[in-house]
Amino acid sequence: MIVVRVVQTGDVDALVALAQETGPGLTTFKPDRDALAARIARARRTLEDEAAPHEQGYFFVMEDAATGDVAGVCGIETAVGLDQPFYNYRVSTVVHASQDLGIWTQMRALNISHDLTGYAEVCSLFLSPRYRTSGVGGLLSRSRFMFIAQFRERFPQRICAELRGHFDANGTSPFWRSVGSHFYQIDFNAADYLSSHGRKSFLAELMPRFPVYVDLLPEEAQKCVGLTHSDTLPARKMLEAEGLRYENHVDIFDAGPVLECHIADLRTVRESVVVPLEIGAADARADAPRSLVSNTSLHDFRVGMAAGVVTNGVFRLTAQEAAALNVKAGDPIRVLPSKHKQG
Amino acid sequence: MLFVRPSRLADLDALQQMARTAQPVLHSLPHDRHALEARVALSEDSFRAEVDFPGEEFYLFVLEDSETGKLLGTASIVAAAGYSEPFYAFRNDALIHASRELHVNRKIHALTMSHELTGKSRLAGFYIDPSLRGDAAAHLLSRARMMYIAANRKRFTSEVFSLLLGVTDDAGVSPFWEAVGRKFFGRNFADIEVQSGGRSSTFIAEVMPSYPIYVPLLPEAAQRVLGEPDEKALLAYDIHLEEGFETDRYVDIFDAGPVLTAQMDRSACVRRNETRTVREAASAAQGATCLIASNRPGEFRCVLADLPALGEAHDADALLSAAARHALGVQDGDPVRCVLLHRQDPNESKGETQ
Repeated sequence: MIVVRVVQTGDVDALVALAQETGPGLTTFKPDRDALAARIARARRTLEDEAAPHEQGYFFVMEDAATGDVAGVCGIETAVGLDQPFYNYRVSTVVHASQDLGIWTQMRALNISHDLTGYAEVCSLFLSPRYRTSGVGGLLSRSRFMFIAQFRERFPQRICAELRGHFDANGTSPFWRSVGSHFYQIDFNAADYLSSHGRKSFLAELMPRFPVYVDLLPEEAQKCVGLTHSDTLPARKMLEAEGLRYENHVDIFDAGPVLECHIADLRTVRESVVVPLEIGAADARADAPRSLVSNTSLHDFRVGMAAGVVTNGVFRLTAQEAAALNVKAGDPIRVLPSKHKQG
Repeated sequence: MLFVRPSRLADLDALQQMARTAQPVLHSLPHDRHALEARVALSEDSFRAEVDFPGEEFYLFVLEDSETGKLLGTASIVAAAGYSEPFYAFRNDALIHASRELHVNRKIHALTMSHELTGKSRLAGFYIDPSLRGDAAAHLLSRARMMYIAANRKRFTSEVFSLLLGVTDDAGVSPFWEAVGRKFFGRNFADIEVQSGGRSSTFIAEVMPSYPIYVPLLPEAAQRVLGEPDEKALLAYDIHLEEGFETDRYVDIFDAGPVLTAQMDRSACVRRNETRTVREAASAAQGATCLIASNRPGEFRCVLADLPALGEAHDADALLSAAARHALGVQDGDPVRCVLLHRQDPNESKGETQ
C-alpha cells in the first residue's frame, strides 16, 4: 500500500535522494541536506506546538509501505506572509467610459497585493517520475486535505495554492520577459530562487509600485495572466475538484494562477467522515469504489487509498492496510469516498 | 517683405482658408466661420486689453507679405492653457529601481497623466503656407510670438510650453496611440483628435489612464516614438530648441509627441533682446539676420532683417531699409527690439539649454 505520512526526523537521507530526481525549475525541493533537515525540524516543531505562528508548516512524505521506498513529498504552510511578505498580483478591473463620446472600455490591471496574507497554502508537491501512475498523484495531493479536515482547528479560515504559469517552447516565461525582467534585472530562476528562500527584500525594492495595465502589455504577456503551465493542468483540475477557484490573484513572476477557497468549503472537509475501523477481506471487484482513508493521529498521521466505502457505519480495511496506516480494529479512521476516477 | 502682426476681423476669409487646409487640424482655429470669427474677435480684444496677469486671452498672429498683402501663415499664443478646464499631458517621470543586495540599479520611465501645464502660456496654432521656401519664414512666424512675449511679459506666465505633432505613419496611424490610447478609447486616433478639440476635454479624465504607464512594458514601436516629433514637425522642433525650449519633461497624451517647455527668462527672445533706435538706410544692411519687433500700442509687428554686429554696446542703432521700416510701422528714431535669429556661439547655446 502507498501511504502519505507526516515526515519523521529519520527521513532526511531518503529525501536528499528523492530531491536528486527533480529537474531544474522546482525551487522548493532541492537536494540540499541542511535545508531539508531544517524543513523536517520545522514540521516536527509544528506538530509539537513549538513553532511560532509565522514558521508553522507541515511536511509529508509518500512511501511504499511494503518497501519503505520514499516516492514523493508535499507540504502545507499554516499561514503565509507573517514573516516575509507574501506577494501576488491582484487582477483588478478598470472601466473607462465617456457618455459624451459613447465610449466604454474595460481592461485588467495588475496590483501588487498582500491579500493572501494569513492564508494556509498547499505547496511543495513532488512525485517521483517512477510513481506517476494512476491515482498516486491524487493521493499525494489530497492527503493534505485529509490532514486539514482532521485537524481543522490548526488552520486559518482560508487556503490557497500557487500554480506554475505558462512557459513557452523554449522554457521561458513570456510574462517574465515582458514585465518582470524590466524591473528585477536578474533571470527568472535567480528571482524565483531568492523569493522561495525567504530573501524577498529585493522584491519590495524593485517591483512595480503602480498598477500595471494588462492590456498595454505585448499580447503574449497578456495571455499569460492566470494561465496554468500545461504540466500543472492535472494539479489544477484536482484542486478545483476539491473546491479551490481562481479568484484573480496571480504570481508576480510568471502570472500563474493562485487558486483559493474557504477551508470550510473544501470537499474533503465537507464530505469526509470519521468511523470505526473493521478488519476484513477487501472488496476484490475491479470496479469496486475506492476511498481515501487516514488515521486520526497528529504525530503519526497516515493516509492511503483503499477499496470500499463506509457501510453500516464502519469502514473495512485488510489487516495489511490497517498495519500500513498504523491502526487496529475499532480505531476511528477518516474516510472520503473517491468521486473521481484517478489518473 | 514678410512680417508678422496680430490678426484682424478683415483676415477672416484667409484664416478660414488656412484653418481648412491645415493638417492636422488646428484646435485654435475652428472650421465653423462663426466660431472662427469669435476667436479672431477674442484675439483683437486680448491685444487691446489691459492685462495684469494671464487669463482667458488668446493672441492670434498672421504672417503677411507686404508686397502682395497676402496672408501666408498663422500662429497663436494661449495666455493660460486650459484656463477653465485642466490641460492634460503625460509627465515623463524617472523612477529608480535599485537593490543593493542584487547590485542592480535602473531608471524606469513612467508616464503619468498630469495637470501641471494647466494655466501656463502655450504656443499653439502654427500653420505656414507650404509654398514658402526656406526656413526663415517659419522661424519668423514661430519666434515672433516670443518677441511679443518679450515685450509683454506680464500678459504671460513665467513658463511657456508648446505641443508638437508626434510620429504617425503614412496612413495616419500613430504607434503610441495604437499601444495606449486605442486600448482606452477603442477608436481611431483621427476620430478622437478631431472630436477632442484640444487637450482639455472632460472625457480625458473619464477615459485616459489614472495610473502611471511603465514605458519599458510598452511595445517597442510605441517606445520608439515617445517624445519624438513627426517629420512634419522637425523644423518646428528645431526652432523651439533654438529658442531655448527643453524636451523630455512631458509628452502628448495621444500621440506621445514632444511637449516642449521653456522658462521665459531663459528663452532667447526674452533674455537676449536689445532695444535699438531705428535709423534710415538706403538699402538692407550687411550683417547677421535678426528678429526685429516693434510694439507700438495696439500694433505689434515683427520682421527679419540683417543688422551689423548686434551686441556691441557702441552701436545702439538699427539701420533699416524703407521696406523694413514700413513693415514694422516705424520711423527714424523709434525704438525696436532686436535679437539674433541664430546664436553665434554654439557652445554657449548648449550651456543654455541644459
